[in-house]
Amino acid sequence: MNKVARNFFKNSIIFFLLGLGGAIVVVPLLWMLSTSLKGPDALFIYPPQWLPKPPVWRNYIDAWKMLPFGRFLFNTIFITVLAMVAELFTASLVAYGFARWRFPGRDVLFVILLATMMLPGAVTLIPSFLIWRNLGLLDTFDPLTVGAWFAWGPAYIFMMRQFLLTIPKEMEEAAIIDGANVAQIYWLVMLPMIRPAMLAIAVFVFQGNWNNLQAPLIYLNSMEKFPVMLGLKFFEQSLSKEAPMWNYMMAMSVLLALPILVLFFAAQRYFIEGLNMGATKG
Amino acid sequence: MFSPYLGTLVRWSLVGATMIALMYGTYKGLRLLKVRREAAVGYALILPWLLGLIIWQAYPILASFYLMFNEYDVLQSPRWIGPGNFKTMFFGDPRFWPSVRLTLGYSFLSVPLGMAGALATATLLSRNIRGVGFWRTLYYVPAVLPAAATALLWRWMFAGQGLINTVLGPVYRLLNIAPLTWFSDEKLVLPSFIIMSFWGVFGANTVILLAALKNVPKELHEAARVDGAPGWTRFWKITVPMISPALFYTLVMGMIGAMQNFTAPLFITTPGGVGTFLSVYIYQQGFTQFKMGYATAIAWFLLVLILLLTLVVFKSSPVWVYYEGEKKGD
Amino acid sequence: MKRIFGLFVLLISLGFMLTTCTLDTQPARAGQQPASKAKVKIRLATWAGVDEAKELQAVIDKINARATTFQIVSEPIPADYYTKIQTMIVGNTAPDLFWLSQEYVVPYASKGALLNLTDRLKTDRRPAAKMDDYFPAVLESAQFRGRTYGLPWIAQPVILYYNKDLFKKAGVAEPTDAWTWDDFYNAAKKLTDPNKGQYGVTVNGWPPIHMFIWQAGGEVISPDLKSSPIDSPEAIKALDFYGKIIYNPEVAPPRNVVNEQGFSEMFKKGKVAMFFGGAADDLDRVPGLDAGVALVPKGPKNRATFAWSASTVISAQTKHPQEAYDALVELTEGIHNWKIVAPRKSLATKAHLVKAEPRKEKAADTIIKAASDMRAFRIIPRHPEWDTIFWEQVQDPLFSKKGAAADLAKAARPKLEALLPR
Repeated sequence: MNKVARNFFKNSIIFFLLGLGGAIVVVPLLWMLSTSLKGPDALFIYPPQWLPKPPVWRNYIDAWKMLPFGRFLFNTIFITVLAMVAELFTASLVAYGFARWRFPGRDVLFVILLATMMLPGAVTLIPSFLIWRNLGLLDTFDPLTVGAWFAWGPAYIFMMRQFLLTIPKEMEEAAIIDGANVAQIYWLVMLPMIRPAMLAIAVFVFQGNWNNLQAPLIYLNSMEKFPVMLGLKFFEQSLSKEAPMWNYMMAMSVLLALPILVLFFAAQRYFIEGLNMGATKG
Repeated sequence: MFSPYLGTLVRWSLVGATMIALMYGTYKGLRLLKVRREAAVGYALILPWLLGLIIWQAYPILASFYLMFNEYDVLQSPRWIGPGNFKTMFFGDPRFWPSVRLTLGYSFLSVPLGMAGALATATLLSRNIRGVGFWRTLYYVPAVLPAAATALLWRWMFAGQGLINTVLGPVYRLLNIAPLTWFSDEKLVLPSFIIMSFWGVFGANTVILLAALKNVPKELHEAARVDGAPGWTRFWKITVPMISPALFYTLVMGMIGAMQNFTAPLFITTPGGVGTFLSVYIYQQGFTQFKMGYATAIAWFLLVLILLLTLVVFKSSPVWVYYEGEKKGD
Repeated sequence: MKRIFGLFVLLISLGFMLTTCTLDTQPARAGQQPASKAKVKIRLATWAGVDEAKELQAVIDKINARATTFQIVSEPIPADYYTKIQTMIVGNTAPDLFWLSQEYVVPYASKGALLNLTDRLKTDRRPAAKMDDYFPAVLESAQFRGRTYGLPWIAQPVILYYNKDLFKKAGVAEPTDAWTWDDFYNAAKKLTDPNKGQYGVTVNGWPPIHMFIWQAGGEVISPDLKSSPIDSPEAIKALDFYGKIIYNPEVAPPRNVVNEQGFSEMFKKGKVAMFFGGAADDLDRVPGLDAGVALVPKGPKNRATFAWSASTVISAQTKHPQEAYDALVELTEGIHNWKIVAPRKSLATKAHLVKAEPRKEKAADTIIKAASDMRAFRIIPRHPEWDTIFWEQVQDPLFSKKGAAADLAKAARPKLEALLPR
């Protein structure tokens, strides 16, 4: 009896704490939603209204239409798809090379790869910018997509290699005995097996591209080439010249958070697997 | 109208095809040179990364090492000024040291705090309660939100008449003080950023630590319980050492990430006196003022800071990070 | 896995749909008409916002219809303008023509980024190319070492907008031409009531502190560009006065209130009684706001007012210098008949002003009067660095109450003077 009561008590405390944490997470989100539905006059009302009366759904349409956000969305998708294809292709090949093939200098090179994970991007930023400038490719999508062919993102290679190490070699060995060449082994044997890792990385690459601000900020000038996050920056700046229109900004934030949230809920497993793939055996 | 897309698409395809051709060429070339098949395949496979390392890492690092001793605005060719940029940085730039302070303060405070929060949450979740998945998902939500949206949200939360001040209203009245102005108050900029990061960051750490906690063998706890060790002792003597590699990982990655915080501060205007995060400062110097030499000098300073910090953490790791014997699983 | 793949496909097709919609609704750009094959495309970058860009397009359309050798294509960049311009110059994709506000022409010209117009202007008889018709102080900002690099298209003096209702309610007499700094300060104090969220005036670095230094008889940069006497007693007097107003809740909103509620926005919403605005600003035609205009208050020595001016320049990278030049002169003439105040003596009349901007009829007398007191910045090639130091080491600490004006100015002067041309 006593034990049941104590357990109940203990569980209640845990649930209370978890609920408290949950509230801290949720309240700002609700505040964002609530603000996004307010008219300009309701923004600074004291005490604040949680349910704007009436809710101004038009905010979403108005904010979206203030700048060509449709175009921005297309640009983001264009950039993401190209970067993702190149990235997945090269990262998986490189990881395959590091995980399965023996060659002189492999371990040293792998340590270098790990070291580059700690290199702040700021150091290479300006010379990279100058390279693209000398190629005459500023204000094009190239710096954001073509570079992906060089297996950028050492973290992805690392994640993929860790995953490959957990896969038994028997299948490949059987394929080799059957006379398959490397391309065939990669395509027919490896790819199907590493698909979960590929998906996890795909999810991260998508998230990374969707949220990326620095590179577009530096490389893109014309508005018709902006991806959505740069659009948001631009939007914020045009609005902030005068009083920040918080209702529009929150509406835009909600809209831009939505796709990534949807992706997260649909592909949660891969997010979490990806995180842990990077973390184990660091 | 679609030409910008078409141009990139063409160049992207060409580079991709070239890369594949180069990989094949490398293999064939190495074989001709009588290199073992296994090694030839290996080199061919890692070629994209190797080329990337040379073109996008090694060369830029050398170039920026040269650039930091120059004055360079791109329009005119670089002008060698020796240590001039460092003189300006250390002695002549009133925004530099405040920026260093803000960046370091942020990494030192936000990362451990975030980890403590994550550890506490993960510990709660690791007890076999119902709906772990639900809570885990919920806590992870802020971490997946775009940093830009988070920054805007918190700028609004911390506004003079924002939600935080409204909630704290009774406290202000009780203490009879003026409402705090958060991001507009030099002294409160750092705490505000930390509070914001706490909300945004600890979800991902929770997930990692939760997975680590799940891997702690139950038998260890059972044995200790039989020996009569109380809960706290067991937590400190068993749980923490067992998950210390995960803690180490989150600490290192968190520090490196925090030192390079870019998006959020770009969206949040702070009073001039506190400076800004170093990454933003580098961007501002390099790409709005076009002082490329000066910006690279600051970037190198940031690099050294990060290296030192990582070194300290790594050096201290034998003291507190416990790796199980070499032979465990994978 | 399938689900995620499906999700990507969904997102992508959604993007395509939205884009197609947006693309369809976008108006066709001028200058892309097929008929203009022989005409050279001249790109013009401006910082015009949505409405301004529309008005500008109307000006351009008229010019394009007449022009036989060129077509101007407008490319508005409403935010982050100078960063974008500089990146385009750096990337060799600079527009042929672009706007630069007064402080940028000399720095760009000194780096060789702009086309020298001097010789072309000498032989050009068109009114917009007549150099001696421009206000000398304004034209100076488009010149470097005796060469002309741009044509000024606007020079709007700063004037004082005020909210008549707030003055009436507070029982304060409306500003007059005789107002001094003290009159202004006392009125602002009476008009302030922080409990109602109402303030007398708002400043945040605008209007430029230079204006007050000139009014006190001081100089920011001497006429020979050899010294920066910002620690002279006159300059200190002005710095002290500005420091007394800014973010002082007795007369003006504190910094965080300005950040959150906006700057001129607070005047438009009736929360600030007085605002220093450019003559062309729309502050006197806000619905529901009864606004008057007056000259800026008089300083101890004179009533100098800041001329916010800007020029159109030609990029040194242009592939069609002659067409770009023709487009520039035509465009400048067009803008002089649209924007106020046109920086030409012959056009600084009430009649021309009202014709260009009928909505400014009531303010016209004050504007024309203010135009005769206009002064512009003296610009040096290293202006951006100079300005950064002046802001970070004098103005910002002064405004944040981190030091006394005299100390700050004295400490900063040698650093500022080190940047002056030798």
